Amino acid sequence: MSYYFTILSPTDVPLFNIAFGTSKSGGDGIARFRFPDAAQNTYMTQFIINSSLDMLEEAQWMSGNMYLKHIDTYPPASAYISAFLTPSGTRFVLLHQPPQPNIPASSSTSGAAGSMSMSLSASTTSSSSGGGLFGGGSSGRTSSSSIAANPTAPQTEEAVRQFMSEVYEGYVKTVMSPFYRRGMEIRSPVFRAKVSGAGRKWL
Amino acid sequence: MTSPGDAAPVKPPPSFSPGVPRVATKTRYPSQRRDSSASLESDRAEPRIGTSPTPPLSRTTSELPLRPASPHGRPARSSTPQAGRSSLGSPIDGRADAALETRSLIIRSFSPVIGVYASSDTDELVRQKGFKDGFWELIRPFGENVPGKLVIRDSVGSSRGWEDYGVRFVDLKESCQPPDGLNQGRNSSLGQVESVLEKQLDSPGTPLGGSVHPNDLLGLSTTSPLYKLYLRQLLSIATASPHETFRHPVASVIATSSRNPAPLESLRQLYADTNNGSRRVPDWIHPEYLRYYVLVHDEDRDDISESTKLYDQMKRHFGLHCHLLRLRSNQCVVTDDDSMQVPECEWLSPSERLLGHAEPLVDLDSDGLLYLFESDIMAIKSFVRELVAQSVIPFMENKVAVWNDRVASRRRGISGRFMSMSRKWAGFGSSSRSSLTGAGGGASGNYNVAHGFYDYDNDEALLRKMADYAFMLRDWKLSGSTYELLRSDYANDKAWKHHAGAYEMCAVSLLLNPLGMGTKTKLENVDQMFETACYSYLTRCSDAPNTLRCLTLAVELLKIRGGSAAESAAKWAMRAMDLGLIESIGQALFSERISACYASRAPVNGVRWGSRRRKAGMWSLFAADMWLRLGKPALASACLEEAERLYADVLGSDGVFPMPEMQTLVDNLRLSVKVGYLEARGLDIKEETGSTDPLDNEETSEKLDRRLNRRSLIVNPLDMGSLALPPVQPTRDEDNLGNDDFERA
Repeated sequence: MSYYFTILSPTDVPLFNIAFGTSKSGGDGIARFRFPDAAQNTYMTQFIINSSLDMLEEAQWMSGNMYLKHIDTYPPASAYISAFLTPSGTRFVLLHQPPQPNIPASSSTSGAAGSMSMSLSASTTSSSSGGGLFGGGSSGRTSSSSIAANPTAPQTEEAVRQFMSEVYEGYVKTVMSPFYRRGMEIRSPVFRAKVSGAGRKWL
Repeated sequence: MTSPGDAAPVKPPPSFSPGVPRVATKTRYPSQRRDSSASLESDRAEPRIGTSPTPPLSRTTSELPLRPASPHGRPARSSTPQAGRSSLGSPIDGRADAALETRSLIIRSFSPVIGVYASSDTDELVRQKGFKDGFWELIRPFGENVPGKLVIRDSVGSSRGWEDYGVRFVDLKESCQPPDGLNQGRNSSLGQVESVLEKQLDSPGTPLGGSVHPNDLLGLSTTSPLYKLYLRQLLSIATASPHETFRHPVASVIATSSRNPAPLESLRQLYADTNNGSRRVPDWIHPEYLRYYVLVHDEDRDDISESTKLYDQMKRHFGLHCHLLRLRSNQCVVTDDDSMQVPECEWLSPSERLLGHAEPLVDLDSDGLLYLFESDIMAIKSFVRELVAQSVIPFMENKVAVWNDRVASRRRGISGRFMSMSRKWAGFGSSSRSSLTGAGGGASGNYNVAHGFYDYDNDEALLRKMADYAFMLRDWKLSGSTYELLRSDYANDKAWKHHAGAYEMCAVSLLLNPLGMGTKTKLENVDQMFETACYSYLTRCSDAPNTLRCLTLAVELLKIRGGSAAESAAKWAMRAMDLGLIESIGQALFSERISACYASRAPVNGVRWGSRRRKAGMWSLFAADMWLRLGKPALASACLEEAERLYADVLGSDGVFPMPEMQTLVDNLRLSVKVGYLEARGLDIKEETGSTDPLDNEETSEKLDRRLNRRSLIVNPLDMGSLALPPVQPTRDEDNLGNDDFERA
């Protein structure tokens, strides 16, 4: 499971970015995104997050909760988007990508993706290592550590919620700093450490 | 956002104009854009050459076919930003037109097939006129659009007129090939589709290359001609196969000519051939199709009174389904007074297109095209109209009514349900509810497992034929309900291809039926059906062309539905790309299509959210990227513009992406589009960049090194990974300003 977490201002400007991998079930906490083309790794996460803002805006006005749950999916890379809304309109967006494609036609999909993409160097290594790491995780699906296996399961939603509220706590403290002005990029290493700590803890 | 069109006539200073985002965005385009928008009035007033202060480069680039629409389109656009493309104006009817067009294309792709079987003397006569393949080739183009309105009665007795009805003439021997051996050819047919596209793209002289873009510009989701070609190719792959009867002959034209010494005998002989001779259809095709007898009269050589007499005899012998076709046997050339060009066939299968298109492309202006006398064309047209309106359609209506009465109603009523249920439960007390797994459980035993077909006179085959007839007669309500009946039967028999076909057509009928407007649950139903169909086609039968056809139909029809259906259309399109059925050009086309699907989702009234602009823009950018990799900067630039238009609403007033890497990608794409153009024109790039400098000196250095990167990307897309862009790259000045005084919290 790889994660990309972004805080977006109400005008869609990214204030904070972090990419990390899971630390559950033996994960080393390093993000390994799989995109059909290795060249896309640099920008795909941002595109997916940006495109999910369409859905986020809709969910933002249709529901009254701060935690908007799973709002969007990007099927070609099986990337899932969860979002959290602060009262000031700042959005926390979490992109998570399970180690193996999780859709029903998984076998044909992965085969097709293999034949399609020109270079598999990055993607095969990541998926094979991911498969190795999560071989145990997907078999022991009942344990809470297996959130990677099913991104839309209630356990995952709950874990993401815990993560989001912990990040929110840190965010509020950071934003209250007298040196911080609204709409500025968050560069505080303390906050970054807090976010990655929350990621280790919950995801 | 505000409507940018308002700004145009007044031309306020840029900072106050609502059109600013457009202008700002344009600066990231090749330099002449900004130039033309700044010195707009002079640019328009003066002739293009010489007098304007723009340096020579700007002139060359402005005449680049960045958008091959025309150079004149551009000043107009910069004066009234988004003129003609604004989201307020024309696109609404434009979109409706496009939707109707696609719908009609899909409907017409399922038109009845009429076999043609002519005696050798008839073929000889036609060959004299220049048609190599004989009578079939002569009448084929005229069947695709039956002139005038055709009135069709549906099962409940209400009539409806159709302007766009067509039939497809095929050589009868095509239908008579055995089903095996087709498979080999059909697997590669997707590859053939791809090569057709390639050919179309590479041929510079065809109208398509030039007209792709103007059409793209007109509306949000006007279908590009290239995509239409792709769709048409995809829909015309199918050949006669047991699992659906669309390609089985509904009727057959049996033709003889006045040259024949014994026309009546020859007609009888031909008829006998279709029954048990060389033209006998395989077991899975219903042999009782309509026979239509045609006497071709040679106007130039033979006596009409003889032929009339003969024709009277024919009518006495063969009944009403006869026609006397009067043709001149001399070849017509362009210089003849009343020569008319033979229309081109719209529905050529990919292989035919690959084979046959070569010569007309080589010498467009000379004898590649065929001509006919006007009188001949009129005669053929009226023949086709009479054939379709007075024989074929009544025949099909009649058959549907009969089968509906005899076969379908037995199954539909309560007693019918009981019957099928009892059949399902009979004789196996042990087997559980899921009769699918029981060996002989629900199977009717009619299915020929070894060869994979039902005999033509089994209930299942008849029902399928009836549903297909109803579908071709555009009675989608009846066809939908019949397919629904069939689905479980096929599943019981494990006739997976039939099963997939029934699910596919059931969903298509539901979507085509104008009354069955989609509520949420209905749409979920439809999605489910497509899912099943795809699974059966691809996983159980590994039939890629049909899977792709099914997915494409899903995409197009759901897109026409609009609203949330458009979104699921996009999902299906992504699925199709994901399954690896599509090759590179198709991938780019599908990306464009996904973008169009998302773009057609309109925002909720009165609020800004609810649209899918960002998603649409993203897919447009991806499409641009793919076109670039394919070496088609013209198409890439069209996609890029489309993306820019889509993003215009959601980006800030400066038109800059808030996310730095997205901005980098967009800049890279723009540059490589430009570079691609210059290279295509054979211009020296260094020279160009040298003269670009004075125009926008702020960004040039940046552009230069990015261009290098990007060019390496064109050569080998995999190098992108080694680009080593810093993860966050604050290139924008305003970002830096904001960050300077920030301290650690």
